[in-house]
Order: sequence, then structure tokens, then C-alpha cells
Amino acid sequence: MNTDDMEQDLGMMQISDSFFPTGLYANSNGLESIFQNNKKITHLEVAEIIEAQLKQQIGPTDLIVMLNALKFASAREFDKITEADTRINSMKNIKEVREASKRSGIQLARCVNEFAKDEILQKYLESHQKGTIDGAYPVSFGLCANALGIDSQKAGLMFLYGFVVSVVGAASRMGITQHYQAQKIIHELKPLIIRIVSESLDRPIKDIWQFAPHLEILQMHHERMDSKMFIT
Amino acid sequence: MTDRIPRLGIGGPVGSGKSMLIERVVPVLASKGYSISIISNDVISKEDADRMRKNLATDRGLLPENLVIGIATGGCPHTAIREDPSINISVIEEIEEKHPELDLIIIESGGDNITTTFSPSLADYFIYIIDVAGGDKYPRKSGLGIESCDLLVINKIDLAPHVGADLNVMKQDAERIRKDKPYVFVNCKNDTGIDTVSEHIIRDLLFDSMPKVTLPDRQRQ
Repeated sequence: MNTDDMEQDLGMMQISDSFFPTGLYANSNGLESIFQNNKKITHLEVAEIIEAQLKQQIGPTDLIVMLNALKFASAREFDKITEADTRINSMKNIKEVREASKRSGIQLARCVNEFAKDEILQKYLESHQKGTIDGAYPVSFGLCANALGIDSQKAGLMFLYGFVVSVVGAASRMGITQHYQAQKIIHELKPLIIRIVSESLDRPIKDIWQFAPHLEILQMHHERMDSKMFIT
Repeated sequence: MTDRIPRLGIGGPVGSGKSMLIERVVPVLASKGYSISIISNDVISKEDADRMRKNLATDRGLLPENLVIGIATGGCPHTAIREDPSINISVIEEIEEKHPELDLIIIESGGDNITTTFSPSLADYFIYIIDVAGGDKYPRKSGLGIESCDLLVINKIDLAPHVGADLNVMKQDAERIRKDKPYVFVNCKNDTGIDTVSEHIIRDLLFDSMPKVTLPDRQRQ
């Protein structure tokens, strides 16, 4: 492994680390709503919920947008990045989820822009400043991965890993999972993460889809909860 | 990019009186013409934000209802104001964009331990509030919040005789731990010390600047 590869790996560790300031720790992605409705939810069900989200929501939508954004950034195709940003926001039906994605996305881009100068990332932030793009976490993540020289496969793995950790972390803070169970869930989801990333690497953005009506209803319910720990 | 509006961070343990301090200080500042927005970070609910909205905005009209905002922090109030303030910063920047006329943004942290501090990128001035009912050992325990805040507020002084707390001990310890930095004894229930806290905010955070919009202008709007 040469130093470029090692630097790429370190960049991957840096932005997939929960210490990286994107606010993801405050997202449960609907899990809190499920927990409020059924306090007896188990760690096994948490794993099933995350699996459903990966297969039906995050995998076929956010991941593909992120991978395409990375590709567009690498090819310096800013118009396509703008289009991806609009498209992913139009797919996020739940306002709370959409707003969280916008905010995390812009904060991620700003933070990476502080230490990894990249023309496309800079232009993305300037466009947000001007109000010509809304900002979206998957698009921002793809641009940041490109700015740090991270390839698509690694970016895909860290993107889904980050999602899984944020939901499992929320489950732990709600007392649904214990710390060993949380790590076991993450470990057992690795084959699924690998499969989804492998199958998504060459998918064009026009192929994005999602079908998780029950989850979306729960995410909508979360918006109206009087008492909550999490943003989503 | 819009100009940064001065930001006041208020942190302290659960039940120390953070929200009550805001509810007492805001009317004083509003009476001097300052326009304020409040962001309340809460561990489990938007209860504090809802209460402040009702007490300060709905009932008394001291600020618009939509400028009292509650933020859920995923059970990590310290993270939301220190190592990852990104959620708060996003919300604040949206407020700055829409309301450049504001003079001050108050960020209330969720109740936390004595090591609470605000990221300098989030707050320009940091008040840490403790209460006498926690015992007179509190200032002596130090901790980053008590030690490093710009202003230490010691609340509920009326309870001292009832909980066996010696205010002189707290005074001496606060002076020793904080050296030249200020502290104020407060009773939010009857406004004791509230004017002093307000004066510190106006002088040390707002640098005695006049409100951007004068009261007659605001009344005409």
C-alpha cells in the first residue's frame, strides 16, 4: 500500500467516524417513533428495521445518489450535481428527514472544505450560499469523498456504515440495545452493506427508487411527537 | 454571507434554572429595545422551548413565536454545543439569514454536567448556571463549565438556609476558582441579580451597542 492509498483510508476513517461533526448522532431515522409506540422492541428488531431501511430506502436512493455525485464531482459535471441535489430532495417526502439531510450535508461540506480544498466542493457551497441548491447529505458526502480522493467502493461502504452506526447508536441511547449487542448488529450487517454497495456502484441516478411506506408513516409520526430525543 | 449576530450560550445542570434565567433576562433586554431569538436544546423534549414561547412570545409579545426554537439533541446535549455543534450552527445561520435585524441569539444547552462548555464557533459568550440547592461545594468542584465560563450565575440563593448551604463559602470558592472572572448570585424567582446579568450581557457581549431597530421603529413595523 502506498502513501496515497493510506491517505485515502485515513480520509475514509475521518469522515465515517462518529466524531466527525455532521450532527448524525441526533438522528434515529424513525426508530424513536417505533420505540415510542412499542417500548418492548428488541435489539433483533432493531437489526431488522435497519436491514429494511438499507434495502428499501437508503440503499436504492441515498447511496446511489451519493455514488453518482462522487462520479459527477470527479468529472467536474456541476450541472449533474445540481440535478442530483434536486432529485434527492424531491424523494425525501418527510420534511423532518429532508431538513436534517440538508443541514448535515452543508455542515459536512463546510467542514471538509476547511481542510481539503476542492473546486467542485467550493462551488457547491457557494451555490448553497446563493440559494441555487438546497444541499443534501448524500450529494455532499459524494463531493467530500471525491475531495479526499476516496474511491466509490470505499465511499459506499463508509456511507452505509455511517448510517448503520447512527441508528444503532440511537438504539443504544434509548436503551433498546446494549453495547455488545450494538456492535453485533453492526457486524452482522456487514455482508448486506457489502452486497448493496457492490450492486450499486454502476447504477445511474435515474434508477433510484424507494418503497418503505410503513417506515415513512413512522417518520411522519415522529415529526408530530411532543417529546423526543432525536431530530428524525 | 450575513453578519454574525452575537450569540450567548447558557449551560448548566438539569434544574439549575437555565430556562428561568432566560425568561427573566429577556424581558430586561427587550425593554431596552434588543431583538432576541432563543434556541433551546433539550435532552428529551421541546418542553422548555414551548414554555418560553408561551411565556415570552405568546403571552407577552416580547419576541415572535417563530424565534423560539427547540432542538432535539439525540440525548447528547454536550455534543450539540461542543464537539459537534453543527445542528445548532445550521439553525442559527438560517435565523441570521432570515432575521438580520436581531441583536442577540440565546442558545440554551440541555441540562448537563459541570464539564459543559460551548464551542467558540457556536457561542461568543458563555454563562454557566448552578444552583445553591446542589450544595455549597458546587463552585469548589470546579469543572470546565464553572471555571471557564464568561459569567458564573449562582441561582436559588433563597434556598441556602433550607439546604444548609453557606453563600460565603460559595463566594470564596468562586473567587478562588475563577480568579478575576465575574460571578453573580441570583434568585430568578424575585429577579435578584437579573439586572446584573443583563448588564454583563450588554457590556461584555453586545459591547454596549444600541439595538439595530429602535423601539418606535419596531412598533411601526
